[in-house]
Amino acid sequence: MSTAQLPDSSIRVGIDLVSVERFERLLADHGAPPDDIFTEQELRYCEGRRRRPERLAVRFAAKEAVLKTLGTGMTRGARWIDVEVVNMASGRPTVQLHGEVAALAQRRGLRGLDVSLSHTHGFAIASVVSLWTSSTP
Amino acid sequence: MSDIEAIVTEAVVEALALDDDEATLDATLMDDLGAESIDLLDVLFRIQKATGVKIEASHLGDHIQGGIPDDEFSDENDIITAKGAAHLHRVMPQVDPAEIEGTLPAEEVMSLFTIQNLVDMVKTRVDSAAA
Repeated sequence: MSTAQLPDSSIRVGIDLVSVERFERLLADHGAPPDDIFTEQELRYCEGRRRRPERLAVRFAAKEAVLKTLGTGMTRGARWIDVEVVNMASGRPTVQLHGEVAALAQRRGLRGLDVSLSHTHGFAIASVVSLWTSSTP
Repeated sequence: MSDIEAIVTEAVVEALALDDDEATLDATLMDDLGAESIDLLDVLFRIQKATGVKIEASHLGDHIQGGIPDDEFSDENDIITAKGAAHLHRVMPQVDPAEIEGTLPAEEVMSLFTIQNLVDMVKTRVDSAAA
């Protein structure tokens, strides 16, 4: 693992790329967006908007990118719904952590997260930068 | 081959677009077969459809950690402890606890998870749903 160093802190990044077509097919096969992946607020935000499959796919990518930067994967009691993408009034996406993921982040000294999302018809990508109080989150 | 074994193997083959002979029970999902999280989601959806039992990705993590608190499962450097290694040997019998105790980072545990381990987990979920 490569960890960038700042005084009394460290930076980690996480990135995830999702095929929109595959993600859309998965959700279609499943019948409905699973409530163990997306929060009600995320579903509400995407519902009725243009390019809904892309928006859902990029939120899934964001959840994965956050879990990567936390170094948990799906262990440590981490759940996808514990990582929520919330758009500010300006439209800028932010990440809110809940449940076990929030508790883990606090224990490990997370100071802040920033996320950037991008999507086209083909792919959805999320990039996350996290700032920690210690050198090894 | 049991029904669950057949269901899980077929789900893995289809989700990862594998040849049948690639999906051996001792193959690790991530390291050997290259599964990403979306593949895992695909596999679990297929298993859920075939068994009728809801199986979430988080169940995998819960199964692997077995309810052991984080600070007992791994040490302050996030390396698997003796207690963590002993539990991992129970749910992933192919893992030698002596080899991973004190050396394996907790975040790499999933890389050791095999198709057989998934079969065992699904059997447990299906049995508990039927009970």
